[in-house]
Amino acid sequence: MNTLVTRGIQALMVAVLIGAATFAMMRALPGDAAYRIAAGRYGYDNVDTAAADAVRDELGLDGPALPALLHWLGDLLRLDFGNSLVSGQPVIAEIGHQLGASLSLAAVAVVLSLIMGPPLGILAGLRPGGLLDRGLLVVSTGLKAVPQFLMALILILILSVQFRLLPAAGYGAARHFILPALALALGLAAVNARIARDAMARIGAMPFYSFAQWKGLSRRQALLHHGLRNVSVPLLTYLGLQFVTLVEGVVVVEAIFGWPGIGHALVHAIFSRDVPMVQGTALCLGLGFVLINTAIDLLTARIDPRRAA
Amino acid sequence: MTLLKADDITVAQGGTPILHPVSLHLEPGEPLVILGETGSGKSLLAQAIMGTLPRDLAARGRVVLGDHLLDAARPEGFRPLWGRQIAVLPQEPWLSLDPLMRAGRQVTEAHHLVRGLGTQDARAQAATDLDRLGLAHADTRYPHELSGGMAQRVAIAAARAGGAGIVIADEPTKGLDAARRDEVADLLLAELARGGGLLVITHDLALARRIGGRMIVLRAGRVVETGPTAAVMAVPTQAYTRDLIAADPENWPARSRRPAGAPVLTATRLAAGRGGVRLFSDLSFDLSAGRILGVTGPSGCGKSTLGDVVLGLAPPAAGRVNRSAGLAPTAFQKLYQDPVAAFPRHRTLGRTLADVAHRHGQPRDRIDTLLPRLGLNPVLLTRTPGGVSGGELQRLALLRLLLVRPRFIFADEPTSRLDPITQKQVIDLLRDTAAAEGCAIMLVSHDPELVARTADHVLSLAPAKTGGDLSGQAVKRAGGLG
Repeated sequence: MNTLVTRGIQALMVAVLIGAATFAMMRALPGDAAYRIAAGRYGYDNVDTAAADAVRDELGLDGPALPALLHWLGDLLRLDFGNSLVSGQPVIAEIGHQLGASLSLAAVAVVLSLIMGPPLGILAGLRPGGLLDRGLLVVSTGLKAVPQFLMALILILILSVQFRLLPAAGYGAARHFILPALALALGLAAVNARIARDAMARIGAMPFYSFAQWKGLSRRQALLHHGLRNVSVPLLTYLGLQFVTLVEGVVVVEAIFGWPGIGHALVHAIFSRDVPMVQGTALCLGLGFVLINTAIDLLTARIDPRRAA
Repeated sequence: MTLLKADDITVAQGGTPILHPVSLHLEPGEPLVILGETGSGKSLLAQAIMGTLPRDLAARGRVVLGDHLLDAARPEGFRPLWGRQIAVLPQEPWLSLDPLMRAGRQVTEAHHLVRGLGTQDARAQAATDLDRLGLAHADTRYPHELSGGMAQRVAIAAARAGGAGIVIADEPTKGLDAARRDEVADLLLAELARGGGLLVITHDLALARRIGGRMIVLRAGRVVETGPTAAVMAVPTQAYTRDLIAADPENWPARSRRPAGAPVLTATRLAAGRGGVRLFSDLSFDLSAGRILGVTGPSGCGKSTLGDVVLGLAPPAAGRVNRSAGLAPTAFQKLYQDPVAAFPRHRTLGRTLADVAHRHGQPRDRIDTLLPRLGLNPVLLTRTPGGVSGGELQRLALLRLLLVRPRFIFADEPTSRLDPITQKQVIDLLRDTAAAEGCAIMLVSHDPELVARTADHVLSLAPAKTGGDLSGQAVKRAGGLG
């Protein structure tokens, strides 16, 4: 119960901070917002001073900053995210539309990373210093060192351009998932594997793990009955933190693969100075972080009774 | 019929022998005790017999277990016997239970997976086992909800669930007080009475005495003496065994009370807490030069906090400490539990000590005068802390204190990391220091015997209770001291 109250307060603070920060950052960007918004609405070729002035007058962009921010916060309290400056549609409808696409991509990426990373990490952790352990260290460090946009390009070059196995972009069919999800998952799995490896090596060296085998359990039984459960706690905790990496990756990867998700929308909203869209999207991602971590807190408290106390 | 027979067991590390050939046999109903200090190789011997040695150590020798013939050089061969023939009791029961699994399940799974009972039968058998050990209510608890004694009994039930007849207990009483130690000994004997064999590895003489049976005394990887436990302990034939037995605080001669010197400090109605928990209150005592005040109590009862308050390192929550007028703040000193942590690691000891002497305006030859008095070889000064033994380092720590010419020393568990013989040397030195330097000493220890035979007065602190108030603990005279 305490967790929920703390997390609720956190969510509120996250909302206010994100709103204020995105607002300030959008105001601080160089260039005339009116021209950018006009370009977003009518296309770059159709922008002239008259169109920009019309936008400026309509949206009151010359007005002072503070009332505009307070107005946004007030609307937020009524769960009104405002309308997109470009499309004129309610922000909440636009986000709702894109969130589904992003969530499905993120979910596939997380599942893929969990299939690749932790099993290898656990196998490596069972024999610290072994061949697999040293090999995994090299591979995971290498994968983690490759930025996500580069990873995406490499995958496109190899699998789409060279071997023509998969489409380089697109949305709708299952095969469209593979490349963007893989680009995200490889980076996640690289770190997952390290966390699982360290946890397994630490738990394997604990007295209770030896004692489980002294009771007569085989290596396999000790791993299944005592190892996995104990490894899952740090792994789950870390999964919550990985959400940040995931969001960062979603923004980049969606832009590259033309995935119609929230990250893609965020990039476009920033280009066309669509402040309510930027605020709404950032808020959505921030609250998502709080939500995911709350869920993980509750889950680890169920697995690990010492945390519940 | 012999249950277990081990012939010429040796252990080597990279070609260097660290355990010389030892042979032993375990008979039904007759416990075997392996006694030795830290580093004597007693745990290595047990691990070689169980096939649980660390990977960088190589064992040799032959082990006969029932109708199994095993080669100590091939530890994999022992694995099928774990839980089925040999039950291994871990050193620290709390750390030996899976923290995320309920106690009952940890016993059930051994019945199910090792003995091969069905799920229902395994659960019923585990419940019977726990009930027999007086743990019926612990079935659904997690290890962190068990006391140390309960965890120990759960571990015994789990270790024996596979049907093993031979119990091997490695330091089963590490860090336990006297009452708990006897409890564990009785528990092991009760298991023995149910049939099978018992091998106990320990440095604890009181445990060895209580377990009885036969005994092997090890020192530096070699057998010093063997024989019936009672006989070895009553009439040791070897000098080392005699020293070891004499070093047991229970066998220390009671010391005569010395006259009190000038008063050093007076504490009046002291109270202190830590993290919102009241540790002690209404504590009054005074200390004079040459006197030793012993402080005992379970861990977490506020012994170290009391020291901080008396030394002026922490303010009391109530009451006051009066230090005698005219004494410099540096006249109040502390001797730390872990000497290794109390010295800069990469400096030679001579350099560290010379710095202290210089800082406090003491002549250099004071170090040279103190060295022989503390039984220290001057050659140690050229080494770094890692190059001397724990006992030597603790004596050097005492020397460093004496350079400052203290009038009061707070000695916080100064021997808890030392083996019995070294412990006796250090405590003797502390007593001599109190007399020769005219120091008042506050000696903290979890061992009531040690305190009773060393201190002039004893202060027993009760365990801290959350939320509850603590009544004052009166200073009482140590029993049996004239």
